[in-house]
Amino acid sequence: MTALSRPHLPAMRPYGREVVREVAPVPAAGPSDAEIARRFCAGDEQALAEAYARWAGQVHGLAVRAFGPGPDAEDVTQQTFVAAWTGRAGYTPAAGPLPAWLVGICRHKIADTWAKMARQRRSAEAAAADARARPRAADADRVDDAVADRVLLLGELDRIGQPQRRIIELAFFADLTHSQIAARTGIPLGTVKSHIRRTLERLRDRLEVDGAALHP
Amino acid sequence: MPHSTPEQLALAALGEPLPDTDAAHLAGCAQCSAEVAALRRPVEVLAVPELAGTAPEVTPPPQVWTAIAAATGVSAVPPSSGAEVVPPSSGAEVVPLRPRRSRTRWLTIAAAVLVGGVVGGGAVALTRDEDGSGSVVATAALDPLPAEDASGRAEVRDVDGVRSLQVDLDAPSLPDGYYEVWLLQPDAVRMVPVGAVHRGDTVLPLPDGLDLGAYPLVDVSVEPMDGDPTHSGVSVARGSLQR
Ligand SMILES: [Zn+2]
Repeated sequence: MTALSRPHLPAMRPYGREVVREVAPVPAAGPSDAEIARRFCAGDEQALAEAYARWAGQVHGLAVRAFGPGPDAEDVTQQTFVAAWTGRAGYTPAAGPLPAWLVGICRHKIADTWAKMARQRRSAEAAAADARARPRAADADRVDDAVADRVLLLGELDRIGQPQRRIIELAFFADLTHSQIAARTGIPLGTVKSHIRRTLERLRDRLEVDGAALHP
Repeated sequence: MPHSTPEQLALAALGEPLPDTDAAHLAGCAQCSAEVAALRRPVEVLAVPELAGTAPEVTPPPQVWTAIAAATGVSAVPPSSGAEVVPPSSGAEVVPLRPRRSRTRWLTIAAAVLVGGVVGGGAVALTRDEDGSGSVVATAALDPLPAEDASGRAEVRDVDGVRSLQVDLDAPSLPDGYYEVWLLQPDAVRMVPVGAVHRGDTVLPLPDGLDLGAYPLVDVSVEPMDGDPTHSGVSVARGSLQR
């Protein structure tokens, strides 16, 4: 081995670790979250990379909680950022901070993946049922219905304007009470309550018209 | 007592505690209870723990960004947060990956590292020795890196404690240059050269004492005939050894 020199070069930085957001929730250096969001909307490619460095851990954490570590979670995280980038025209600061918007997209991708898994399971079971003529378990139907209803209602949430959408998301996903939501958003208590009421009615109506559980 | 307000019933559907008078009314009023039950349905569908906004952060493996960059055509790179450099390991002979082409290219391949279920020290035989070619102790599916057209499969075989790497490579023929197989650490910085491979099956000896747990990635590179023993920086397929 002596004949071949092995040039010693400074080791390249292992790229994979760089996306870790360390301990501090607010990075000490670099652009502000709002600045990244602004440039993200404007189509600045570097802002996508910065958004990923800052929030991929949060998004991937949700995906891993839903599917465990592995390809399904990785697909969800990938799809979330790709969809956010291609759909960046749909983001407005009124919807809340950019990471909250990313998390909203991630929820969709999680629900879509559940639905895809349910479809695959159904077709696998259908194949097995053809072979063995065994009826499908009622439990499995209930799980599939819940999955379909989640996709339906997440889609309906997308059609709800602001600030109604942000209010209901804080109630559903951040488990805040109406008074906490009012404090967080600065929206008067009575307005928060009436928005919650109307949004729940709207979602209930959507389930009654198109929900899987009522219309097998 | 009058019925509870629609707003109170909505808050009840969300599980918020009601004032005592409303709570007492609700307990005895079928109409209000039915209303709460109906409003609860969307809450039950969406307000599930799996969709809640907070979960422990998990750093995605590097191939996630690679895939995003490939899908969006974005060539920017997520900024560094000062990751530490892995020190050289003792034992196996390693060479730093020296990019001979562009830095962008290097970042692309480094980002494509696959970290899966990693082979531990005491790998267990997957298959019995049937034909004298040894037991398969680990396998890796070699997937093409973005924009590449090479794939294949690698198997670590053990015959009486002597290990070899069998690589079955499906890749375009090269007008000049050759394919070489490497075992990489997960950071893709440290690596051990295993040898040149042809398209089709090639069996290469593995260095004795090489810890596959520390070098779990099988990497196939394109090497020019330039006499430089280091990695060209151009990988075409890669996979993670799994028991
Ligand atoms: Zn009543």
